[in-house]
Amino acid sequence: MKRWKFDPLALVLPALMVVLWYFASASGLLPAYKLPSPGGLLRVLADFATGVLGITPYSGTMLPHLLCSLRRVVCGFVIATACGLTLGFATGLSPLLRRLFDPLIHVIRAVPGVGWLPVAIVWFGVGEGNTLFLISLAAFFPIYVNTAHAAATVPEQLIKAGKMMDAHGLTLFRTVIFPASFPEVAVGLRLGLGVAWAYLVLGEVTGVATGLGAVMNDGRMLGHVDIVLAAMIVIAAAGKLTDLLLLAACRAYCPQMRKRRGRK
Amino acid sequence: MNRGLEIHAVSRTFYTENGTVVPALDGVSFDAPAGQITALLGPSGCGKSSLLNIIAGFDAPDAGEVRFAGVPMGRADSHCSMVFQTPALFAWLTVAQNVEFGLKRKKLPRTEREKAVSGMLRLVGLDGFALAYPDELSGGMQQRAALARALVLRPELLLMDEPFAALDAQMREKMQDLLLELQRTLGQTILFVTHDIEEALRISSQVVVLSSRPGRVADTIPLPPAMDDAARTACRARIRAALAES
Repeated sequence: MKRWKFDPLALVLPALMVVLWYFASASGLLPAYKLPSPGGLLRVLADFATGVLGITPYSGTMLPHLLCSLRRVVCGFVIATACGLTLGFATGLSPLLRRLFDPLIHVIRAVPGVGWLPVAIVWFGVGEGNTLFLISLAAFFPIYVNTAHAAATVPEQLIKAGKMMDAHGLTLFRTVIFPASFPEVAVGLRLGLGVAWAYLVLGEVTGVATGLGAVMNDGRMLGHVDIVLAAMIVIAAAGKLTDLLLLAACRAYCPQMRKRRGRK
Repeated sequence: MNRGLEIHAVSRTFYTENGTVVPALDGVSFDAPAGQITALLGPSGCGKSSLLNIIAGFDAPDAGEVRFAGVPMGRADSHCSMVFQTPALFAWLTVAQNVEFGLKRKKLPRTEREKAVSGMLRLVGLDGFALAYPDELSGGMQQRAALARALVLRPELLLMDEPFAALDAQMREKMQDLLLELQRTLGQTILFVTHDIEEALRISSQVVVLSSRPGRVADTIPLPPAMDDAARTACRARIRAALAES
């Protein structure tokens, strides 16, 4: 089965949009300060990455900003994963712990991530701390909810079968409960990673010095909409790439995930 | 000489959340002789599954006791294995890895494990499917894999909860033959729950009929090994009579 499937139909709408955009810019309908032409944007993007053209103040600075943002996302995601998996399995497997923790967690979840921004700034100041806090908090919830549900819905007969083959306690968890839960946990991880990227930008536009979100904020204030868009494109690409890496890692652990398509 | 499975005055009552009292089992007593297949027959709701859970060690009776080979049954582990109506195979493992699972927990070295697994797969007719995943197999094949997984550990007691009920008639007959052959070869004590009288007559040497709500033993009918048609009809009638009064 081919790993990389390419559907030509997926390109139709984007191509159409680019064509319309080109003509809108070229005819002057769309002013450059609102939306640069496709060619212009491509030049800025190339310059952002390589620095050869020197047309913006951000020439060639893509890599350090990207790495900075990537570091924040990965750190926040790791924290969210550690907390989400631990609490998720705890409340999923223990009715007592669920009664203790679950209501509180869902109440906290009801506060939209954006609503945490003022408090985060007060507690952690503007900078690394509050960005990490926002990312971890937001990514935690999808991971926790999916893990708790997966753990609580492992079929009872699988657990009985495991026990009758001498798997108890931690061994039962490692050999039966965790693998049985994994496909759903993986869904939570992917959602969490996506949310992490979203809250990265929120955290960074509050005024850190480096990072793609910072570039976007800076560019907006100086009227460089082209660099704002260029940074958005880089974020989208990086987000997609990290998602693919996560998916590959999940499939490496659980080859069965690859086979779930095309079943009865 | 192994005394087999002895169930003595087992009672179990469940209390549901809204306060209803469900008396599942009431003073159930019977013996399942060692090395033989005993069928447990009864209508739905007669507490068969509750009884199996107690025997396997997943639940404790409110009264009475369960002994095997003279020893009271403890918590669930590999001395007693159970096969369910659904195969309950681990979807993330291949057939061979599923069958190997219990052997790994016992820390058997790899060569011994591989020998045991391939031998067992051959016995159930799945040698060729060792590397397949459960969802690539038909229902009958999955049940064979589940049987292999249970039997490779040589449990002294095998509990079977309507294991062939979800299979079509032809497959069911094949599986019954397979079970008889395995039992002849390996000599397990088997308690086989079913609601199919013909199945019970075909494979077991003793039929215990349970009445329902609450579960009680209505009758215990021994089946002689070589039955002619007349004997079989007589047993069938006796089973039906016991079921009718429940």
